Amino acid sequence: MSVQLLLIQIANGIGLGLLYFMLAAGLTIVFGLMGFVNLAHGAFYLVAAYATYAIAGFTGSMWWALALAPLVTAAIAIVGEQVLLARTYRLSHDTQILVTLAIAIVLQEAVILFFGPFALNVAPPEMLAGHIAIGMATYPVFRVAIVVVALACCLGMWALIDRTHFGALLRAGAEDHQMLGALGIDVNRLWTFAFALGALLAGLAGALAAPLRGLDPAMGHEALALAFVVVVLGGLGTLWGALIAALLIGLLQSIMSSLWPGGAYLMVYAAMVLVLLVRPRGLLGRG
Amino acid sequence: MLDRNSPLRPIAIVAALLVALPLLLPSLTLSSEVVVFAVGALSVSVLLQRVGLLSFGQGLFFGIGAYASGMLLAAAEISNAVASIGAVLVAVAISVGIGALIARRGGVYFVMLTFAFAQMGFFLMVAMAGITGGENGFADVPVAPLVAGGSATPGTFATYVYLAVLCLLAFAATCVMAASPFGSVQTAIRSNIHRAQALGYNIANFKAATFVFAAAVAALAGAMHTTLLGFVPPSVIEPETSQRLLIMAIIGGAGSPLGAFLGAAFYVVLSDALADVWPRWMMLIAGILIAVVLLAPGGLFGLLSNAFGRVRARG
Amino acid sequence: MASMNPILSAQGIQQRFGELTAVDDVSVDIRENSIHAVIGPNGAGKTTLFNILAGTQSPTAGKVVYAGRDVTSMPIHQRVKIGMSKSFQRTSLFADLTVLENVRLAVQAADGAEPYVFWRSTDPGGRLSGIAEELLGSVGLRALSGARVGEISHAAQRTLEIALALASKPKIIFLDEPLAGMSIDDIHRAKHLIRSLSERMTVVLIEHNMSVVLGISDTITVMARGRKIVEGPPEAIRSHPDVRQVYLGHAP
Repeated sequence: MSVQLLLIQIANGIGLGLLYFMLAAGLTIVFGLMGFVNLAHGAFYLVAAYATYAIAGFTGSMWWALALAPLVTAAIAIVGEQVLLARTYRLSHDTQILVTLAIAIVLQEAVILFFGPFALNVAPPEMLAGHIAIGMATYPVFRVAIVVVALACCLGMWALIDRTHFGALLRAGAEDHQMLGALGIDVNRLWTFAFALGALLAGLAGALAAPLRGLDPAMGHEALALAFVVVVLGGLGTLWGALIAALLIGLLQSIMSSLWPGGAYLMVYAAMVLVLLVRPRGLLGRG
Repeated sequence: MLDRNSPLRPIAIVAALLVALPLLLPSLTLSSEVVVFAVGALSVSVLLQRVGLLSFGQGLFFGIGAYASGMLLAAAEISNAVASIGAVLVAVAISVGIGALIARRGGVYFVMLTFAFAQMGFFLMVAMAGITGGENGFADVPVAPLVAGGSATPGTFATYVYLAVLCLLAFAATCVMAASPFGSVQTAIRSNIHRAQALGYNIANFKAATFVFAAAVAALAGAMHTTLLGFVPPSVIEPETSQRLLIMAIIGGAGSPLGAFLGAAFYVVLSDALADVWPRWMMLIAGILIAVVLLAPGGLFGLLSNAFGRVRARG
Repeated sequence: MASMNPILSAQGIQQRFGELTAVDDVSVDIRENSIHAVIGPNGAGKTTLFNILAGTQSPTAGKVVYAGRDVTSMPIHQRVKIGMSKSFQRTSLFADLTVLENVRLAVQAADGAEPYVFWRSTDPGGRLSGIAEELLGSVGLRALSGARVGEISHAAQRTLEIALALASKPKIIFLDEPLAGMSIDDIHRAKHLIRSLSERMTVVLIEHNMSVVLGISDTITVMARGRKIVEGPPEAIRSHPDVRQVYLGHAP
């Protein structure tokens, strides 16, 4: 593999990794505050991607699509949370997981119902559809845009977690309802916010991914599995771990896709197994 | 064995159901399908009920069992029974490794890792398309006798009986395990895991061993699936299969092994009735799943045993 | 009768939680077949030290040596196999099972490979149940063997805690506030039980009931603010000025 190709794949890997980080971060936030794994997370990613396609088709503008799709996703998440999840908060974590599974199935079936089971494509906004010249090579502008948006998102998240009340609660791993209630915190609103935020992140990742890799109904499942790999690899509960793990996985996948395309995904999972053997708690995990 | 509190009672009930099933359902093939997935759902139920582990990856071992038995049948002139045993052994070997890695982890990690491994299994199958047939499935499965010395071209009735016997064996093994010292430790783990550990039980070992048992059951179901179909479709190792088995177990009710049977029957019959008419019928399943989880956590088994309890109380 | 040899020896135990130092460079020798109490006001670090000795917590620094082996980070289930056993401060039993089954499970855990037998029924000849019944008899709970744990009295539950810890025939047993919440009569019975244990094993306990502690202990370790401030037989502790200061809250 030439140096030029390697550099391109490294750039791709960083972009991909940042997308994976957004996914994993959303999952970690929900888990950190609500204590269960949100199996609908991948479905939110899926819905956002298809919403991007639909809004772009409807309005003719990808800009609107990219801006609105994550918000639509968050809205759907809030509906699901209010109607269904909110009934499970006094029940076991297993129950909550199963309800999110049901939500995921409904969303996936809805997507197939409206858009059919086959793969679709959507183009990035015209202004971002070109290439820029870097030295002797050209690189897609949209991929650069993804990195920019993802970094902005990371900055926003850092501010949220480090500077806000919400972030403090998240860092404390606040799960005890009674304790939170005694502190005067409206637990229901906190959870709705956390769940919506998680969905927003998944939605943003999905909207950005749509022009990048196209749409198909299985992408939600794949994304969820990858989010799990990132979280497990990085260590549960640590966002820094998720960032490092996501970048590693993005880089691994991109580089492998040039060396052995059929086995790119496999290598990612193999890496997870390897890390688990050596460091069962993940790269930065503790406790 | 029919005593209400005997841990072996479910075996008698399953036997009765297996006899009744072909009389209740319109085709032997449909009954056979129920039987196959009853064993598959049992693998989920065992892990959940005995050691509290919610697995999203039993489809991995279902798929391994299906492919392994198909390939063994293609590779040698053996009966379905022998191929099934071989498939189970393959799954056991693999599950020992995976179990050592993930079964010691609790709740969240286990959910995520089984989910990820199920996905990985699918990618592995696709990556090895040369051997597995990839998206086309593995079609080189020859018609073989069910057991050594049996007819070279078994009919649908013989196939049903064969599958029913295997199903009964799987349920019997589960009940025997639950009633054994090993089972008493599982019960202790469910009751108070910290105390069980403080008494000196190596919890990780028990979880891992139960994981291997569940993998064996799932692989048996997969091998039974290959026997029934005569080939191996790629769907056996798709992540959706793990989901399907889990849903059957939950709807049927995780409180007893019988739940797995009920859930599988419910799912398979409903699928048969609806899937062609309404391709998006899974939405109904999702709705039923939510209803069960929120309103009837004991599943179909819970509902039925409550109903029977009330009948008995009145009578 | 307490021997002179330390069966358990903790050296330089340090336990830090971030900025907070719960246990600060504590060393303790526990003599074989003695009754050794660890006391101190709330927040003294005695529970942390106790957990470190018993094995439910790993120290940030320091070593715990038992019968010549370094057991500092040995997991609990392994400690049981080498003769260490612990009861819980907050009653932690198998609430939905019977008293007998609770003890039978404890006895089964120490019964070689029996826990891994999966092909036949539990305890076919009633052998383990028999041992469990004997054990219940020795702590005075035989009458309750068929009752569900959730239904028996608090004192009976505390005694059952001790019974479970005894089932593995330990050489050293850690009792975490065994008398908590008991009435005078129950305390009297429990006191005799604990004293009788020291004939066959070493007893390490945390207790707030000062008269019992002074009455039955061979050695008392007093802790305050994470440090060991005094250690000695009850007579030495009873009149020690530092001990009174620590409990009455005067400035050090």
